[in-house]
Amino acid sequence: MDYSSEVEQRFLSPSRAGELEKGTPGLVSGEAADRTLNVWIRFQIQVLDGAIRAARFSVYGCPYTVAAADWAAEWLEGRSSTALEELGMLRRYKKLGVPVEKLGKLLLIEDAAAACWRELDGLERQKRN
Amino acid sequence: MIKKEIYLDYAATTPVDPAVIAVMIECLGSSGDSANPSSSHLPGRRAKARVEVARSQIAKRIGVSSDTVWFTSGATESDNMALIGAMRANAHRGRHLITSVLEHKAILDTAHALEAEGVEVTYVNHDPDGIVDPDQIAEAIRDDTVLVSIMHVNNETGVLQDIAAIGQRCHECGVLFHVDAAQSTGKVALKLEDWAVDLASLTAHKTYGPMGIGAIYISEGVSLDPMIHGGEQEGGFRPGTLATHQIVGFGKAFELADPDSDGPLLAARRDRLWTGLNAIEGVSLNGHPAQRSPHVLNVTFPGVEGSSLQLALANVAISAGSACNSDIPDPSHVLRGMGLSDVLAESTLRFSVGRFTTEAEIDYVVGRIQDEVPRLRALASGAPVWTAS
Repeated sequence: MDYSSEVEQRFLSPSRAGELEKGTPGLVSGEAADRTLNVWIRFQIQVLDGAIRAARFSVYGCPYTVAAADWAAEWLEGRSSTALEELGMLRRYKKLGVPVEKLGKLLLIEDAAAACWRELDGLERQKRN
Repeated sequence: MIKKEIYLDYAATTPVDPAVIAVMIECLGSSGDSANPSSSHLPGRRAKARVEVARSQIAKRIGVSSDTVWFTSGATESDNMALIGAMRANAHRGRHLITSVLEHKAILDTAHALEAEGVEVTYVNHDPDGIVDPDQIAEAIRDDTVLVSIMHVNNETGVLQDIAAIGQRCHECGVLFHVDAAQSTGKVALKLEDWAVDLASLTAHKTYGPMGIGAIYISEGVSLDPMIHGGEQEGGFRPGTLATHQIVGFGKAFELADPDSDGPLLAARRDRLWTGLNAIEGVSLNGHPAQRSPHVLNVTFPGVEGSSLQLALANVAISAGSACNSDIPDPSHVLRGMGLSDVLAESTLRFSVGRFTTEAEIDYVVGRIQDEVPRLRALASGAPVWTAS
């Protein structure tokens, strides 16, 4: 399998792999999995004052999935929390050189981010009530 | 000093031995033998003599007489010739073929093609270690069975079948027996005549010879319909101008391929590799622990996705599944056939050592894997455990 240099670099040295410390303020998490695709992904996101201050991921999957998750975590950091709903992996796959047949795996990254958004939305509703 | 690239994929193909390269270059050169071996003039007769020397080198290595060895393009063609040719030539005897689910695709796809022609195929089972029981073959044989085809050394797991016992059962029942022996030469002894084998497939490129040349052994008196037509070369079984330089290389490779000298060295390298890998938590060996070829090691690393481990070891040439199938995203049919779930099959790598593998290379690879497996498992910390089918 020929991987792009960005996929190789992100896979071998992911900058945002791992977990945020327990008790981190504003921490939300979300995960997605598809056994048939052999992929599991979890994001841990720190949201303070409506902004994503930190993003970390854990992943089981192929190098494309690892690299795409690393890119996604990097992209999320510094953006508004609404970015969790706007993560557009399909706009990114060509730049990463991900083959079309692997796109389903990238959609799970969007699902995991969306799960973070739902948790955040739930927490904010609780606060308002 | 470790080389930049380490090759542990000898079951996919072997590097060509320098001695083989030398005879091939000599054959191709201006003072070599480049005439058509079918020509009756002196240069043609010289080329034919080279072909016949190679044929006898190959025959000697596999334990048959040289007039039963016919050149083909490789083991896949030989497999097709054996199955299709034998079933068609013996259609008057029946239309039933027996093989196993663990065979190479060259056998399984050919069997499927024959099913489309109306041949009935029985796929026999095996035990969890991948061993086919000879008695089960005997039980599957029917009055209309023409051919049994079982591989000698499995290309993915290295598991070794008891060809002598299966051959005996086939002959007791009057059924032809074909063996795909593509992986065998130079690693384990081949005594095809002693083992009552009627047809066998061979290739040069897995035994330090060139790609694009192979052979089929056809026991005396066995009928086979040719698949291609156009001349009388190779007894009419496989017409076409012979590639003298490839055949000469093939012969030299088989002359050098002595399992008595190579086998123990390969086993030592393989065992050193397994000892190192077995120190990693949770790894498991696929296939029978003892009844196996010395050159293949098939290992599952639970919690690690196979292609990720492959990329993490990018300077080490290894296969996820069999090399023939590495570009196919489906998990290996052999590993699934042995009961592994899709997830575990995708967490599996095949290592295969060869004549040029060094202890230093093995130690380097073990060290790299001992580093990378925990890193990838940590990356997947919290992932569900998908082990069941």
